[in-house]
Amino acid sequence: MAPSSATSPAGNRSGAQLSNTKTTVEFRAALVAMAIVALIPLGVSNPYWLGVLIVSMYFAILAGAWNLLAGYTGQFSLAPATFAMIGAYTTGLLNHYFGVPPLLGIVAAVVVSGLVGLLLGRAVLRLVGPYLALTTLSFAEIMRLVASNSIDITRGDLGLGVAGLLDSRIGWYYLFLGALVVLLILFYMLLRSKAGLFLQAIRDDEVAARRAGVNVVFWKTTAFAISAAASGFAGALYAHFAELVTPELGLIGQTGLIVSMTVIGGMGTLAGPVVAAFMVYVLSEWLRDVGGYQLVVFAALVVIFARFFREGLWGLARAAVQRWGRA
Amino acid sequence: MSGIDVDLAVNGLITGVFYALMAIGLSLIFGILKIVNFAHGEFYMVGAYAYTLIALALGVPVWIALPLAFVVGALLGWLTERTLMRPLYAGYTSWGLMRDEYAVIVTFGLSLFLINFVDKVIGPYAYRGPPLVETSRVVLGPVLISGHRLLAAGIAIAVIAVTAALIKWSFWGQQIRAVSQNRLGASLAGIDTAKASVIVFMLSGGLAAFAGALLSPVINASPDVGIFPAIKSYIIVVLGGMGSVPGAIIASLFLGVIESFGAVYISFQYRDAFGLILLMLFLLFRPQGLFGEKGREV
Amino acid sequence: MAGLLRRDMLGVALTVAAIMLPVAGAQAADPIKVGVTITQSPPGSVVQGTQVKDGLEVAAKIINDAGGVDGRKIELVIEDTQGLPEKARAAVEKLATRDKVVAITGEHQSSAALAGIEVAHRYKIPYINTNGWSDVIREKGYPEVFNPGNYNSRVGAAAAATMKELGVKRVVSIAENTDYGIGLAKAIGEALKKIAPDVQYKYETLDRASKDFLPAILPMRANAPDAIINLMLPPAAYIMMNQLYEQGVAPSAKTWLYDGSGLADYPDFWQNVKEAGKGMLVFGLYHPKMAQPALGKQVGEAYTAKTKNEPNRLLFQAADSLFLIADAIKRAKSTDSEALIKALGETKYTGTRGEITFSKDKGYAFNQWLDVPYVTFQLTEVNQKVGDSALVSQAGQPLDPAKLWKPAK
Repeated sequence: MAPSSATSPAGNRSGAQLSNTKTTVEFRAALVAMAIVALIPLGVSNPYWLGVLIVSMYFAILAGAWNLLAGYTGQFSLAPATFAMIGAYTTGLLNHYFGVPPLLGIVAAVVVSGLVGLLLGRAVLRLVGPYLALTTLSFAEIMRLVASNSIDITRGDLGLGVAGLLDSRIGWYYLFLGALVVLLILFYMLLRSKAGLFLQAIRDDEVAARRAGVNVVFWKTTAFAISAAASGFAGALYAHFAELVTPELGLIGQTGLIVSMTVIGGMGTLAGPVVAAFMVYVLSEWLRDVGGYQLVVFAALVVIFARFFREGLWGLARAAVQRWGRA
Repeated sequence: MSGIDVDLAVNGLITGVFYALMAIGLSLIFGILKIVNFAHGEFYMVGAYAYTLIALALGVPVWIALPLAFVVGALLGWLTERTLMRPLYAGYTSWGLMRDEYAVIVTFGLSLFLINFVDKVIGPYAYRGPPLVETSRVVLGPVLISGHRLLAAGIAIAVIAVTAALIKWSFWGQQIRAVSQNRLGASLAGIDTAKASVIVFMLSGGLAAFAGALLSPVINASPDVGIFPAIKSYIIVVLGGMGSVPGAIIASLFLGVIESFGAVYISFQYRDAFGLILLMLFLLFRPQGLFGEKGREV
Repeated sequence: MAGLLRRDMLGVALTVAAIMLPVAGAQAADPIKVGVTITQSPPGSVVQGTQVKDGLEVAAKIINDAGGVDGRKIELVIEDTQGLPEKARAAVEKLATRDKVVAITGEHQSSAALAGIEVAHRYKIPYINTNGWSDVIREKGYPEVFNPGNYNSRVGAAAAATMKELGVKRVVSIAENTDYGIGLAKAIGEALKKIAPDVQYKYETLDRASKDFLPAILPMRANAPDAIINLMLPPAAYIMMNQLYEQGVAPSAKTWLYDGSGLADYPDFWQNVKEAGKGMLVFGLYHPKMAQPALGKQVGEAYTAKTKNEPNRLLFQAADSLFLIADAIKRAKSTDSEALIKALGETKYTGTRGEITFSKDKGYAFNQWLDVPYVTFQLTEVNQKVGDSALVSQAGQPLDPAKLWKPAK
């Protein structure tokens, strides 16, 4: 298992195979982690900690979706939280004004956020690096300003009350877990397919990928739309869980949390960001009790990981396991 | 032009001057490293705190606290460059493989870190910086303005002029311009690109911190106060053509005036969205900024 | 490969197990736990949060020093909401489910209270709204929610009465874009329609996150109204006031500035506004020259001893909130929520500001102490303490024009 797999050049056959095995290992690890998460309610019945884990799963979906876009396709969007907000407001407004049942609203949220993602993805197609980051950041701020200033429609910062979906905490727990696992499976299938190779080829060298006949426009936009739809889905679920939709869902700080989870877990690894989402969020709830230093710690970790450990915790864990294996 | 329009124009221009002071540093960094520093607003925030705390807590006169804020910002810029920016130019040959994402993540993380660090160490309270003069109202023809705002705008114009002159005519200014026009060429010509980068970061941090200090009596220092100047700076740098200092200055004045009029004649609520919409439109349709390729010169 | 995979899984399992460690929390049952949601960090008002916290701690100390409630001490469990509805919701949820508090109080921002009462209602936990003014909180009709603090309709009526007594013709409210601000701006409009229908009234809503209000203020300069009513909270309110003053709009010889949001007794008020605050008329829920029950004096003195600050309205509102909970527990002889809610409904308790009872009328009056006392005072000097300001209208009395001060032209 060569650690170089992430940096292997696009189009290299062995690199591609290696990448596939790597994805499979990560996928299995993620499933094991989810299986453990599924067992937690047997031992923990406190609704507070179940709630914390549910929110962790919300972030795990967002981190996974953003990782697909940023980690696997190299499109560094700064708007993942915004798509969650769009999804939440889609179902929230439909429910609040037209009494649309939550399940239908969630479907609508996936469609709407996916479409918005498609449009934005199409628009920013040619932008790279800082240009893309700035454009998506502006998009995020504009959306948040619209949500918090359209008081007559969204009730602004007060938030919009929406209907609940399930009465039982445990029910929500498994609903979120189910959603997370389904998305993980979908992402895995996507990455295992040709599409996955194309996306990573585009990330590693867009020009070379285009020359090799990859439909760059199509795949980049598709990745954007899928990521946005998944984020919108998470946002919509969260809206009915919290029974409240506010513009805070789209705050830059929320995006910061999603980026932190992904970077700490390991960008471009299937399991890393998802597992890190749990660690970061649960740890942050716990750190809140001992002085509220959670964001200081995580931000420092992000800088340190980005500077010294590009592959995140996942990469560190893999290196440790390898050393252990050799000893 | 009715009375209110004169007011709006003058106030918009003054706001624009402050925007320029914030944005020049961001533009310089983009010029030399081709990255956007997402922690730029936090340089501003640190300057606002440095000035306010040095003046209020230590009782240092404001005229000494003000340049000290610049120094603190410059030190922070130096530290950032030394610890985090090196991988960006460690060997020019790997430039093509440099991941822009590294710069985004690292500066974004630094921004989150500084905001929350200050929030925990100094506390979440807002502090109002001491004004440079106590005169609260000056009449300038048809326009009313506070003494501090007027004086601060004057100082800002002077600092901007000195900075622009240094970049245009000083030895290191010329080196910096050479590096931003052609990094490879500059390094072949024997210019120390690493040193140029350090100088740019120190200047950038110093200027942003200075802006934060100057504005702290108007916009109180708080941990998240840097978010708004940062976003204005992004807009300006894009409008002015990324990396161009004259472009940034003109774009700042332009944005200040547009916001001022737009808030009255279009919508106050959405004032902050105007610039962001411009930013998106420019990046999508005219990435070279208002002044085209010519404007890209530093 | 397979071995590697197994070890990977072991690693994951260990990590997840490590995450779950903090789940095993401790529980101590003896003291009576009261949940508190306040703002301890921005963007909400930290100043308000701190005053509420101090008030609750002073009251808790008074109760505990006197032996607690039936021998059990009061313990406050404090959560930070940042003034954000989403955080407030999560905070109430945590207090109800994790800390298992008997009641929740402390909230001082309407939007946060509105999110919090939904959760309190779901878990049927008594919720004493310390300082959420929005009428909507009452209009929901939740039996768990009690309001011993001020309410928008009360301020609306008070502001309208003052405007009428000042004899002004054109009034503009500047309101923050929250339930509190917009709700109050509308309440003033309705009250004016009733008692002074010929006054022209309008309101503008401004974003509280904004740093510059000049574009909203400039148009007022050319055609200044006779009175401007501030319905924003700090820090936005300070920036707005400074710009109003800079532009010569208010307070001025032509235009009164009336504060409907209780700015004047914040410790950072004068540091932030200076000249811009001189001449401001204030809707005051507390003034040292007001008549107060003995408990009020005791709380005020304990507060000054603790913080070295002058007493303020939030201190008394917060203290009353906790005294009411303690009183209800005593009468119910139980901390069971249902019994507690019933006892709270039957409250007849002399707190720090007067005798508190809760109305059962529908609408804004539901579970509300209707007779919250208030005065109108005017700040006539920079750095003036509230106690030295001019009391231009005593509680329940009309405004005394002879005591008014107006800036020279």
